[in-house]
Amino acid sequence: MTPRSLVRIAAAFAALAVACAGPPARAQSLQRLTITRFTLASDTATPTLEVPFHLLIVVRVRERVGELDTLDLPVLTSLELLGDERHLSSDASGTLYRETITVVAHHTGSITIDPATLDAIDARDGKAKRYFSNPLTLTVRGGALAPLRSGGAALLAGAVFVLRVAVVLAGLLCAVAIVALLFRRKSVPAPMPAQPAAPRFEPPRDPRDDLRDALVVLRAEPTRANAMLARSHVRATVGATDDETLADVLARAACDDPAMALVLRNLERAAFTYDADLQAAIAAAVDSLEHAIA
Amino acid sequence: MNDPKPSDLARALSQTIVGQHDVVEALLLALIANGHVLLEGPPGLAKTLACRSLAAALDGAFKRIQFTPDLLPSDIVGTRIFDQRDATFATVLGPVFANVVLADEINRAPAKVQSALLEAMQERQVTIGLQTHALPDPFVVMATMNPLDAEGTYALPVAQMDRFLAKIDVGYPSRSEELTILDRFAVADTRPLHSVATLADVQGWRAQSQRVHLEEPLKRYIVDIVLATRETRHDAIDYGASPRATLAIANLARARAMLDARDYAVPDDVRAVAKLALRHRIGFNYRLTTANISADGVIDDLIATVPVP
Repeated sequence: MTPRSLVRIAAAFAALAVACAGPPARAQSLQRLTITRFTLASDTATPTLEVPFHLLIVVRVRERVGELDTLDLPVLTSLELLGDERHLSSDASGTLYRETITVVAHHTGSITIDPATLDAIDARDGKAKRYFSNPLTLTVRGGALAPLRSGGAALLAGAVFVLRVAVVLAGLLCAVAIVALLFRRKSVPAPMPAQPAAPRFEPPRDPRDDLRDALVVLRAEPTRANAMLARSHVRATVGATDDETLADVLARAACDDPAMALVLRNLERAAFTYDADLQAAIAAAVDSLEHAIA
Repeated sequence: MNDPKPSDLARALSQTIVGQHDVVEALLLALIANGHVLLEGPPGLAKTLACRSLAAALDGAFKRIQFTPDLLPSDIVGTRIFDQRDATFATVLGPVFANVVLADEINRAPAKVQSALLEAMQERQVTIGLQTHALPDPFVVMATMNPLDAEGTYALPVAQMDRFLAKIDVGYPSRSEELTILDRFAVADTRPLHSVATLADVQGWRAQSQRVHLEEPLKRYIVDIVLATRETRHDAIDYGASPRATLAIANLARARAMLDARDYAVPDDVRAVAKLALRHRIGFNYRLTTANISADGVIDDLIATVPVP
């Protein structure tokens, strides 16, 4: 077993250990999200020693949110953090979160970066879950400055010796961890799905699943933005195009269902009524939507 | 007894005017939105009857001015006449001092006469001599034009067209409607209307209409539609609509929402009134005629390019 594979196994164990910890304890304060994308990427698979590069975390959710409170970044033990820039944008289709982390490597060799995690209540079934991004493995190559940093031969030899001892110890620890994990697996239910986590939570999509999602979100957070989102889902369900108004949609034979017509009317009201009437309008929309998808 | 509603007025008008539901609705919208209307259509399509019926249903003062090439501004706004008995000037108010003024064939009078009326429409007051006289409230001008007979007419300048809140195209009735007209008016019976609302009711409707809520996406939708008329590269359009069109669409949309017993407007309201506010504010050129396309068709295409919020 090579040192590189040992490091990978250790990283995998770390991810699994986090997964086995079960649903997050802060479920009460978690956001209700429908996560459609959660990825970790680097702008290079082979960063150069002492040359900054970027890690990019992308999260896409169907809801409009102001921030992702429970997103945890991976621990970057092998890299030095130089900067962190976050960007969050929302539109009718949801929210896109992009976080760019600028890092630099001080050692050559392979680096495995653990998945980022995001705790949230799955808007589709109302359960608290921990989502994982993919992990990342990079190979740091020596740059032009590498020889200058190597120092004297004796120092190098000493470092190699220490490294070998560390690798042997790490191997032993991993072996112990494997045995412990095998025993634990027999008694503990299957861990949460690993990376990419979000797609694994996707049940088979029914055309009305989006409506159910929208209903859950609208019931949990009765805001105008969520009413607009629900309205766009319902419009999509009945095949409304961008240039069609409610009257156009209702005039089409495709919307013969009186229950769905009522949903459309109520959501139109929720989307455009004045603030004092908003909650009553959303309540009416939720009632009619529940009835329509029941 | 309940307060009369705009729908009561619409019902009363439908007893006199056969068909022309769009025309009746547009007249009501303009009345509620406190604007003036331009009706264009061939002769004999009840344009005058519609205006007269509206005035009768409101119990307001109605005056009709037949525009002719020899008309003078003083024939419209009024003048000062020297009274020889007591050697003083007396002011005689013109026919523009009424609640509903029908300017029949407005394009048959020269520009100075049109200007006199249009200035009164804009300012809602008239200056005769040194005295300024406020026009009655409500004050609605309904001007008609005949698109078929262009000889001896004076086309309304663009700036003056812009002062009409809405332009209503009056079309021919359907076959069944024409049969009804034959039955109803065979003995020249125009069914005299009883008033169903007062002028104070109209003022109440207007106040209510101004309180109709326009949500932000809807405001952006209105602006985007007007911008689409300016930014288009359509061959038949020389220039797009003015910001007054934006205000006109918003006011008409509010009025339509109120007519539909809602206190918030929706995209359907905007879509329904957009042509009323745009068709006389867009500069169409000769290609419209040579390509045999309608102005409304072009506007429909432009509106379709703007996504519904």
